[in-house]
Amino acid sequence: MRGWPTPGAAGDFLAVLKAHGYELAPRFAALSAHAPPVTEATTVLALKFRDGVLVAGDRRATAGHMVMYERAEKLINVDTHSILAVAGVPAVAFEMARVLEHSLQYYRRSQLQEMSTAGKVRSLSKLLKENLPLTLQGVGTVVPIFATYDEEGGKVFFYDALGAQFESGDFAASGSGSLAVRSVLHYVNQWGNKPLARHAEDEATVVALRALDTAAASDTATGGHNPRANVFPTVRVITREGIHEVSDTELAKLYRSEV
Amino acid sequence: MIEEPYRWVEAIANRREYIEDQLARGSPILLMRYADGLLLLTVSRETQKIFEVYDRIGLAALGHPADIERMRLAAIDLAHVEGFNRAVADVSLRRLVNFGLSPALKTAFEQIYQPPFIVKLLLAELGDSPAQDWVVKLDYDGSFGRGGEDGRETFHVLAGTAAAEQHMMRFLMEHDDRPDRELEDAVRLAARAWAVGMYFAEQGRERAGEEEAQLPAGFDAARSLREHLRLRHVEAAVLDRTTRSANRYRRLDERELRGMLKDL
Repeated sequence: MRGWPTPGAAGDFLAVLKAHGYELAPRFAALSAHAPPVTEATTVLALKFRDGVLVAGDRRATAGHMVMYERAEKLINVDTHSILAVAGVPAVAFEMARVLEHSLQYYRRSQLQEMSTAGKVRSLSKLLKENLPLTLQGVGTVVPIFATYDEEGGKVFFYDALGAQFESGDFAASGSGSLAVRSVLHYVNQWGNKPLARHAEDEATVVALRALDTAAASDTATGGHNPRANVFPTVRVITREGIHEVSDTELAKLYRSEV
Repeated sequence: MIEEPYRWVEAIANRREYIEDQLARGSPILLMRYADGLLLLTVSRETQKIFEVYDRIGLAALGHPADIERMRLAAIDLAHVEGFNRAVADVSLRRLVNFGLSPALKTAFEQIYQPPFIVKLLLAELGDSPAQDWVVKLDYDGSFGRGGEDGRETFHVLAGTAAAEQHMMRFLMEHDDRPDRELEDAVRLAARAWAVGMYFAEQGRERAGEEEAQLPAGFDAARSLREHLRLRHVEAAVLDRTTRSANRYRRLDERELRGMLKDL
């Protein structure tokens, strides 16, 4: 309560957290030789289609050669029209997503206006820079994709581990299966019967599922789908109206007929 | 001058007098239960008086804009840090007021070499069911109470003087024919009750402090409201239990309000 105006008077939630002693990425003197294998989550993609942006991710998390989890959720809704898709170390990625989600809410409520798209993109970049100590020690690397829909339409941004931000024209992919995904998306966009931007939602969903399936075929860290255990990739769509998730029933049907 | 205890008491009394003078003419605020949740309403000239604090918490205030702003930011800080460190479900208005805002107000009020907060707050938290809603009135000296003057907690009012609050409450009780009123009816009733409160607020403390302060014969709340709306506008927000998103706070926009208050 002391020291008003608060560090958050300008709408910076991370500054408020720091005033409470919070640190996103603690610094260590040296990495122990006995450090446990780090859990990692892999392969997410975002592509622009006719009505907005489609974001998808597989469900596998690995630690070294072990499959940790087959139901990992790698897409996080950070506001009504934005999704953060994370590849990398979940421990840091989910923490980062939490900070980002609260930062956007905090900004909107304290400053009585929405943050601009450029501001949101930059906020994530700042969090990646904040995470530099863990990234450089190789224990907490996160490489996210940020997808959003604003008054100009759907937008997709991707980052490198140090926080550089890039806007992509048609699609972006991140994680260990990203090379395969990018190849598939490039092929469909360039050589398919129509570019991704003219795909309807169900067509775009099929492309995303096929791309993830291709990645899972060659990359052990990318999970496939498992209808018996009811495990399917996560697919969400951002349009003018907001975010909705493509249901497992819908995905199961598409897998049966199209993938 | 205040080394002696009675001097301190005197200084506090003076301070109370000064703050209440400042607050007396403030625009009254109403909180009303309606079919889908809670409605907060006031009429403002320029500065915003009703704010979103967190997913289920709204705040309305009268007083000095800078002090309202400091209390609002403090509430938002506390709520977001708690929501981040623990979970959204752990953010509660009760804790926010008991352990955060109230002690800060009391400290500021009693440190007589420091400026006090010139502010009165009405805060509301939407629960899963009406019985779990939590409404609290917080005063400039840190004291707070759950209000709900009608015993059923359908109405809560906040104004600069006791007379304004009493007469608003009386007006609401007289016109309370539908406990599960729709939003539009709630807005219309609250806006008229505001005009009753504003009549007394404009009298200031001298007149309104009198026991026998009464509305003039033939006082027409709707007409009085229309006159005020030439220079001011209705400001309102709801905490809506029926909305699908986690965020239950929604500010009513000007067009929506104009439609509701048409031919009042």
